[in-house]
Amino acid sequence: MTAQPGPARRRAVDPDPDLADVRAAQRDRAAFGELYRRYLDRVYGYAFYLLGDHHDAEDVTERTFLAALGAIDTFRDEGASFRAWLFRIAHNQLVNALRARGRHRSTSLDADSMATDDDPALLAGRAEEWRRLRRALDRLPDDRRQVIVLRFVDGLTAREIGAVLGRSEGAVRVLQHRALRQVAELLDG
Amino acid sequence: MTSHPTRAERLDRAIEGMLGGTPSTTAAAQAGMEAADRSLLDAAAALRGALASSLVAPRFEARLGARLSGVAGTPWLLRHPGRLIVTGAVGSAVGVGVTAYAVWRSSRRSSGVAHRLLQR
Repeated sequence: MTAQPGPARRRAVDPDPDLADVRAAQRDRAAFGELYRRYLDRVYGYAFYLLGDHHDAEDVTERTFLAALGAIDTFRDEGASFRAWLFRIAHNQLVNALRARGRHRSTSLDADSMATDDDPALLAGRAEEWRRLRRALDRLPDDRRQVIVLRFVDGLTAREIGAVLGRSEGAVRVLQHRALRQVAELLDG
Repeated sequence: MTSHPTRAERLDRAIEGMLGGTPSTTAAAQAGMEAADRSLLDAAAALRGALASSLVAPRFEARLGARLSGVAGTPWLLRHPGRLIVTGAVGSAVGVGVTAYAVWRSSRRSSGVAHRLLQR
């Protein structure tokens, strides 16, 4: 597995908000707990929305964090942010999981994968809209679905998504545009 | 020379604004989006609302946290230790209840048998 994302690209604007915690974890592995707590939901969400299965998502999440902890010393602030680096590891694990499975996701995502922190009445009211969105997401090609999940579940920028998927920032924006157009059409139709 | 942003770039800017808390109509206007693309931002807002949720089971979080802390050699605090404590407490209470019920049923059954034997 390649832990380090593709070609290093200097971030033009924002400093990496995780850098202090990464430095701390490089000095003392116990400090990795902060990064674990911060990114557990997001890495899990990425895996779950792409694999459609909680068990497989847990497996990918576990492998991702173990690999990240093992390779934390290799992270360098040379362009890609820590979260892009982490999601690159998750992406590699995801590709391995799909390869091992020998097929792409066939399990549709059920209602039990909805948010669990809202009240039941609210969830019931949202259920139909949620199902329509999920069906639309399920029908996207893999590359478009990955962009959508990384953008809206994980909050990555187009630049970071490019580092994760090995694509240019512009290509990610185009994929995002096409994906949202497809979702909008599916919701209308 | 300033290059004119593409539709994909304008949509991305609007999404960036929306994710940052700007209302979608304002974000679309600030990014200079075409009217034809507004429905895409609506779809983005709907996806954002539907997908952003915590799905991780507390037990998995605890198990992986324990494994990672074993690798790191130091225990970590869980994000939601209360949830795990409540889960454990409820599980224990249910276990105690089931055991007590089984003992009660068993004792009633055996006392009933003994009673019938004495009646004979």
